[in-house]
Amino acid sequence: MLDWLAGVQQFLVGGVLVWASTVKLGTGAPAAARRSALRRLVGERFAVVAYRAVGVVELLLGALLVLPPAVVVEAYLATALLAGMLGYLAYARLRAPESGCGCLGDTQVPVRGRAFGRVGFLLVAAGLAGWSTGWWPQRPLAAVALLVLEVAVVVALSPELDRRWLLPLRRWRVRMSHPLGSVPAMVPLESSVQQLERSDAYRAAVNHLRSDLLDSWEEGDWRLLTYAAATAEGPATAVFAVPLRDYRPEEIRVALVPEPEPSPV
Amino acid sequence: MDPLGRRRFLTSAVLGTTAAGVVGASALGSFAPEAAASPRPALDVGAGELDPNFVEGRIIGITKGLLLVTSSDRSMHRIHLTGATSVWKLRPTTSDAATVGDGLYARGVRMPDGTLAADAVWLNIVNLQVHITSIGRSVLHLDHRGDRIVGHVVAGTTAAVYNSTPAVSDLSLLQVGKHAQVVGAWRPDTNEVDLATVYAAA
Repeated sequence: MLDWLAGVQQFLVGGVLVWASTVKLGTGAPAAARRSALRRLVGERFAVVAYRAVGVVELLLGALLVLPPAVVVEAYLATALLAGMLGYLAYARLRAPESGCGCLGDTQVPVRGRAFGRVGFLLVAAGLAGWSTGWWPQRPLAAVALLVLEVAVVVALSPELDRRWLLPLRRWRVRMSHPLGSVPAMVPLESSVQQLERSDAYRAAVNHLRSDLLDSWEEGDWRLLTYAAATAEGPATAVFAVPLRDYRPEEIRVALVPEPEPSPV
Repeated sequence: MDPLGRRRFLTSAVLGTTAAGVVGASALGSFAPEAAASPRPALDVGAGELDPNFVEGRIIGITKGLLLVTSSDRSMHRIHLTGATSVWKLRPTTSDAATVGDGLYARGVRMPDGTLAADAVWLNIVNLQVHITSIGRSVLHLDHRGDRIVGHVVAGTTAAVYNSTPAVSDLSLLQVGKHAQVVGAWRPDTNEVDLATVYAAA
């Protein structure tokens, strides 16, 4: 059983390594390298070179794992590479938390739990592959099913790939269920404030205003907004009347109401 | 005057016949924008200097209209609230809304005794550039540079601004995977915010 399980893992680890190498050797590599934590680790000058070098190592090792013959040392090398990757992720998390790992895609996703989960999963798989005795496992159908399942786990643990499957799935769900469709319709306060700030009445009074919005209420077709104000005669309250349902900033009215000195609350 | 009577008085001041002592709009001078824009007071703070009339921090104590605040540089400040201080906590509210633990930005005038007489206080206000990762019932799941934030939709308050057009209460045009800017009120010591305004493209 262990033998069979181990035989599948070399294809998983090898396949993922080859896949990762295509990203690192592709056209998006320079940009991905500069966004990754490698920039911090080896410096700006060598980031792209180091990134491509990792890609070459991944491609060689991945090809060795996938192609016959199966040699135990391949699994050991993969385990070592993935252990190094785990160390690199820890470094990225601690020293460059904003940069991505550049592992499986060129989108920048900061290193979080899922990236560790993915490398940990592959590390265990690579360790298991050390027990493999043959290149092609018996019961090929079951092997392929297990491989598909494991690849699905790797994809699920790859935040770089979310926009390929997870976001479309969520978008579809939102289109079906309209979770925010039942919000009651009303005129938001923000809309009245926006209208006020674009009015001549506000421009005329703004130099007198001292506070942000104090209070607001509705009266018929108007929304009333008050601000604390200061005039040459002393403190005052600026009251603005803004049309509630229409956009007519030219009709906005203002009054300055004198106040006694504000008392502590 | 009770709050309702005061609102009625202020309503009649701006909409009704002018009450005694009220200055009408025309007394404020020219309505031309350039006339209003010119007499701006000069900024009294040099580049790189601390603005004495501004405080950010978290409330560690409240006593009768006086907030005790520690800033992120560990300095301590006392902030006076008066009836003329605007207080924002998700929406314009009153000074009783302030609680210990709230984050705060305050602007006002520094008094000779070192306290800040606040003109405006914003409690727990946050302004975040995010991606919408998922939408649920009355909740937006947001990604802020790799960190997850839960944005709660508050019925009657949360507004959306699409393509810089006037704010509306309809949030149904928000899309998963798109970029958005949210202004909201942080729930202290959590990764959750109550949403005030969501700016997005539609």
